[in-house]
Amino acid sequence: MAVQAPTIPYAPRRTTRLLPRSFARSPLAIASLVVVAVWCAAALAASSLAPYGPLAQDIASRLAPPSPAHLLGTDPLGRDILSRILFGARLSIPVGVAAVVLALLLGTLIGGAAGALGGIVDEVLMRVTDLMLAFPTVILAMIISAALGAGIRNAVIAIMVAWWPSYARFVRGLVLSVREREYVEAARALGASPVRVFLRHVLLNTLSPLVILGTLDVGRAILTFASLSFLGLGPPPQIPEWGAMIAAGRDYLDEWWIATFPGLAILTLVLALNVVGDSLRDALDPRLRQQ
Amino acid sequence: MHLGRYILRRLLVIPPMLVGITLLSFVLSHTVPSDPIAANLGDQAAANPVVVAAFRQRWGLDRPLPEQYGIYLWRLVHGDMGVSISTHQPVVMDLKQRLPATVELAIAALVISLVIGVPLGILSAVRRDSAIDQVARSVALVGVAMPVFWLGLVALLIFYARLGWAPSPGQLNPGSPRPPFITGFILVDALLWGRADVAKDALAHLVLPALVLASYSVGVITRMMRGSMLEVLGEDYVRTAHAKGLSRRIVTIRHAARNAALPVVTVVGLSFGALLSGAVITETVFAWTGLGSYAFSSATSLDFQAIMGVGTVVATVYVLVNLLVDVCYAALDPRIRFG
Repeated sequence: MAVQAPTIPYAPRRTTRLLPRSFARSPLAIASLVVVAVWCAAALAASSLAPYGPLAQDIASRLAPPSPAHLLGTDPLGRDILSRILFGARLSIPVGVAAVVLALLLGTLIGGAAGALGGIVDEVLMRVTDLMLAFPTVILAMIISAALGAGIRNAVIAIMVAWWPSYARFVRGLVLSVREREYVEAARALGASPVRVFLRHVLLNTLSPLVILGTLDVGRAILTFASLSFLGLGPPPQIPEWGAMIAAGRDYLDEWWIATFPGLAILTLVLALNVVGDSLRDALDPRLRQQ
Repeated sequence: MHLGRYILRRLLVIPPMLVGITLLSFVLSHTVPSDPIAANLGDQAAANPVVVAAFRQRWGLDRPLPEQYGIYLWRLVHGDMGVSISTHQPVVMDLKQRLPATVELAIAALVISLVIGVPLGILSAVRRDSAIDQVARSVALVGVAMPVFWLGLVALLIFYARLGWAPSPGQLNPGSPRPPFITGFILVDALLWGRADVAKDALAHLVLPALVLASYSVGVITRMMRGSMLEVLGEDYVRTAHAKGLSRRIVTIRHAARNAALPVVTVVGLSFGALLSGAVITETVFAWTGLGSYAFSSATSLDFQAIMGVGTVVATVYVLVNLLVDVCYAALDPRIRFG
């Protein structure tokens, strides 16, 4: 009789779960995740969900209060506010993500270089970073995007320029601490080239805290973008954008719905993103909680 | 280390920092790809080479960049930030008129957030997981996610347009006389002027924008105070104090809260930058003529002198506030000085 391979008496334990346990146990975190998912879905399906086009004008019912025809009312040009909010999500979410990713890339590049090269490079890069940090971010972003000219791309550039310094400092700190770990020393002892040690062993291990930090900041980026846009430094007026929609309501205090609903859109999305980010951080990397 | 020497050491870092700030303001405002000539002269004049040359010479734009920076720095040391291309006033004068409004708003918001945030943080840590803790944590979460410009509009909508409790936007009623310029803070100037009615008016106009602006920092400070308090409450000396039979109230306030407040001091300095940024946005909603509208108009008209002035002054204020905070921290916590 042939010897059979022993069968495993129990099913292999599932080692990967979709969500960390502490995250899945928090009702607030789950609710926030749902809110974020709903906003993302709304952004993706805006063209089929929105009752009207984002630019469609119905002059006859301009400044109409919320009604069955226009659930959230209309703006001074007779455009449907609900539709514009849905299309606005299509802009705000990618812009928030793009601004954070770009700032993270630039910050990682500069902070990584400072941490890896050390010496005079480190000194110069970190002094520049310190200086950049002395400028309040919105004012810096405002100056940059006003000078570059209003527009979506320039607003993203402005946020990136204003934000990279804090990431650079964070990455440098991480690189300095990871560099001293035993496994990095082991890689070096095995004869790995400095570039390989840095990329494969140091930089890769700074990734997870960076991703968490980035998630936490997407909400803040959306908020900053809306602020710039509120000040008139965002996309041109016809494009549906939440901050600009609120700015349009400034002159119509009696028509409360114009500014109120886009603001609630920002608040719910940013709040949910922050809670998700916080919970993810607590679940994945409790060390960061001190920050 | 002696406190005096600590302060001296920190002060020595300031001058190079300030030079760096001016350099950065200069670089930022000059690396912009846009052309100030087109922005300020209009198409017709910009097509005329004589006008363009005169304009460039008038504003020193024909010199090499390092020389422009050198001239700027030299003038700055003498209290001259150049003349704004768009307002045709010395930038120093423009800033003197505009900066106090923004700083007044930021300070008022800071005071409000400390008055609300510190007790709320203490209470929420002491009664952990109680209803008040839930409220405090929600305030903190919502405050950080709140778009201030929207909150400002909603506040105006409710308290000014609907209820009529708040005065119209602006720093004073249209009928009120503006107090003479002493500190630039309207409320302080009105008090120094001895006009209680004007001071009352200024205060009434300050409350709503300051509350709106405080929404962010209340959250940050509450959260920090709560976290720091929870940590301290677990310390041995707090248990010892309890064991000695001291009342809960005394232990909470004298032993725990005083020590827990230390990290909050740092947060105050850091959130002052956020408050300045927020003040710039809030003042546009409440029609204050502060730094925000000035920064905006000077940046859109590529008014280099004015942009550099704004950047330099704001960054300097921020750096000085943080210096002050560090000094307070060192005075309160000897470990910093000796560490």
